[in-house]
Amino acid sequence: MNSLELTQCIVNALLLSGTLALVAIGFSIVWGILNIINLAHGAFLMIGAYITYWLFTLYGVDPFLSLPISMILLFIGGYLVQRYLINFVIRAPLLVTFLLTFALEIIIMNLAVVFWKGDLRSVTPSYAGMGFALGEVQVPYVRLAAFILSLILTGLLHLFMTYTKMGNAIRATGMDIDAAKLQGVKIGHTYAVTFALGAALAAAAGSLISISFPIDPTMGGAYTLRAFVICVLGGLGSIPGVMMGALLYAFIEVFSGIWAPSLKDAIALLVLVLVLIVRPTGIAGKAFYH
Amino acid sequence: MNVEEKKAPIRITRFDGLFRGRQRLLSGLSGVLFAFLFIFPLFASGFWLNTLTSLLLLAAMAEGWNFIGGYTGYAAFGNVAFFGIGAYGTALSMTKLHWPFFPGMIVGVAAAVAFAIVFGLPILRLKGHYFAIATVALATATGEVANSWTSFTGGSAGITLPFFHPMQLSGQYFYYLSLLLVVFGLFLTWYIMKRKLGYSWVAVREDEEAANMMGINTTWAKVTAFALSAVMAGFAGGIYAYWRTFVLAEEVFKIDYTLQMILATVFGGPGTIFGPFIGAFIYYILVTILVFFLPIGQLHATLLGTIIILVMVFTPKGIMDFISGKRKLTWRALLENVRIYRV
Amino acid sequence: MEREVILESQSVTKHFGGLAAVEKVNMKIYQGEILGLIGPNGAGKTTFVNIITGMIPITSGKVYFKGRDITGWPAYKVGRIGIARTFQIVKPFRGMSVRENVAVGAMFGHTGHTRSSKEALEKVDELIDFVGMSHLKDRYADELTIPYLKRLELAKALAMEPELLFLDEVMAGLHTKEIESAMALVRKINERGVTLLVIEHVMKAIVGITNRVFVMNFGQELAQGTPEEVLNHPVVIKAYLGEKFAQRHMKQKAVAAKV
Repeated sequence: MNSLELTQCIVNALLLSGTLALVAIGFSIVWGILNIINLAHGAFLMIGAYITYWLFTLYGVDPFLSLPISMILLFIGGYLVQRYLINFVIRAPLLVTFLLTFALEIIIMNLAVVFWKGDLRSVTPSYAGMGFALGEVQVPYVRLAAFILSLILTGLLHLFMTYTKMGNAIRATGMDIDAAKLQGVKIGHTYAVTFALGAALAAAAGSLISISFPIDPTMGGAYTLRAFVICVLGGLGSIPGVMMGALLYAFIEVFSGIWAPSLKDAIALLVLVLVLIVRPTGIAGKAFYH
Repeated sequence: MNVEEKKAPIRITRFDGLFRGRQRLLSGLSGVLFAFLFIFPLFASGFWLNTLTSLLLLAAMAEGWNFIGGYTGYAAFGNVAFFGIGAYGTALSMTKLHWPFFPGMIVGVAAAVAFAIVFGLPILRLKGHYFAIATVALATATGEVANSWTSFTGGSAGITLPFFHPMQLSGQYFYYLSLLLVVFGLFLTWYIMKRKLGYSWVAVREDEEAANMMGINTTWAKVTAFALSAVMAGFAGGIYAYWRTFVLAEEVFKIDYTLQMILATVFGGPGTIFGPFIGAFIYYILVTILVFFLPIGQLHATLLGTIIILVMVFTPKGIMDFISGKRKLTWRALLENVRIYRV
Repeated sequence: MEREVILESQSVTKHFGGLAAVEKVNMKIYQGEILGLIGPNGAGKTTFVNIITGMIPITSGKVYFKGRDITGWPAYKVGRIGIARTFQIVKPFRGMSVRENVAVGAMFGHTGHTRSSKEALEKVDELIDFVGMSHLKDRYADELTIPYLKRLELAKALAMEPELLFLDEVMAGLHTKEIESAMALVRKINERGVTLLVIEHVMKAIVGITNRVFVMNFGQELAQGTPEEVLNHPVVIKAYLGEKFAQRHMKQKAVAAKV
């Protein structure tokens, strides 16, 4: 590998890390606050991607403009799912919520295959293939935009969590549910909003991914697993931790993709297992959102 | 006068799964079921024999999952790795070493057990979600390695095994072999749960710290449970390989198998002797009805998902409690779970 | 006559991060005695027991059980060599019956290797009687009330047939009458030949049952001696009640002495 290829890989990994951070952050909030591994996270992401696709294909809506639409729709969907389904078994043993969200994923994926068919599809706005050159390194516009938007959304989430009443209620619930109850936090509603936020962030990630990569109904599972690996790498519960985890993961993925393409996922997963064994709190493990 | 006081028999409440409650009815029922399973090949073949063989293999794997997931309480989501390794071990020793089936299968099982011990030792230190996902990751990574290690495993071309001779008896042969494995699994469960090992598993599930303090080597308990679940899945993999005469990584490492084991166990009742076995039937009957008899087109996965959700919300402890008469099937009983676990 | 030491800790220390939870504690427990371990909340009593029993790793120091170095042993080995404990927050096996809960102790404890699970299940009747739960033998642990769960803790630990037993606040949360019977139970356990270390906040119980008391504060030894000596020791009173009360208490005593 010469230095040009190396630089290109580093740029690619950096750009990828933004989107991956966005994928993982919603997952991380739901896990950290609700103690639920949401296996349907990738399915939400897939719906977000398809919303962007259909808005673009049917009505010519610019993919970046469809971002808020897919976020709002998934926010509502996520709220309903948590409020009227998961809340009923939220304190049940791990296996119950695990299988419940898995069943959700099966259902969403199945419906997507039936109604939208299993084909690979792409969102192709006029600027899809364009980019600029930094020296000899190629930087595609859409990926750069996705990277920047991911950072903006992450920043907004941080502001929301820190400065709004709801954000504080969510954090309080994550730290000590009983104390939060005594302070008058409506737990059911707070949980639902938390889950809805997770779903909306997944949708945003899905919309951004759909502009750079082809999509299909089964795309979600791989992203759920990535989100998990990133959360473990970065440690559960801190936004900077998740971003670091995403950066690390992006590098692992890009470089192992070059050296051993067929073992790309295996390497990432073995790294995950190793990190879990050596340091179960992650690299920057911290308790909940600060 | 030396009248020996007659001791009342000791009631062991925990481990007798089926034998509590409506004992006679249930032992009768399972007797009938086994009699039916035993004579089934006499009047059925082809599709139904294959379906039932698959069902029995699933039941055997579910019995294995029950050791680690049901009795020891560790949510293992990667047991398909044992199935895949069992299948590959059998296939490789039969094709590369030209060994006969049974020694080949033993190699497969040994490989699966070795895998369970080597990786179980570090990952069984993890708890809850972390353990669950580590097992998923491990199984997925193993599948990928098997898929890309072309020189050894044949990669995406798979491995073709020799056929069973005589061909016309092949169906019955693998059916009875699977049935034997299921019976072995039931016996193994019963045997272990009466003994100290069984108590150490349940103690770990209920409170690992207290178990450790009471003199239980919890690492040993967890690793044995994991390794024995590998034994069941490894045998199932070996039978599968020779039965289908074809092994492909994408097929034998599919996470769907893990889920089927878990669903079968959960449907029937985790931590009971007959639960996984009965659950496998329920699961298969449901799936078969959904796929073949309901005019719902391709929506059967949606229906299956809905059923999983209903089970998880209303009867997450399986149906054994209702069948055995420990609990009455009422609305109240169904809603009890929600009452306890909602926000 | 020099009594035999059953357990000795030599400058046992535990740091959590930079914080010293237990600092250089030297303790000797003599064969057959009931030693009280007291101290204000957060003094490190439970942490100390956790270290000795191998539930958390030790930072530095040594632990000897009957002259044998058991420093850093895993909990299950400590349990098998003849040390048992109860937990302040009870830890029953909820999915097992009372009998099975207790039998687990008989299966895996100090003498566990000598019997099968069946023998263990038969053996524990006497113990369940001993803690007064024979009418609850076949109940699941999750059906029991707190006082009975505390008794179950005791029975589980006793079933291990330990030579040394740590009781971590078995009387907390019990009312006066229950405390009386719990005290009687502890004395009876001691009469069976079990050496006891009792962590307790109920002073009445400490005075009533212990031969000797060891006081900890801020992770360190504060004082030790007979219950009367220790409870009237100004340093101990200060630790418990604060400076002001200690002075008032000493004044009162001085006045009383003059009169």
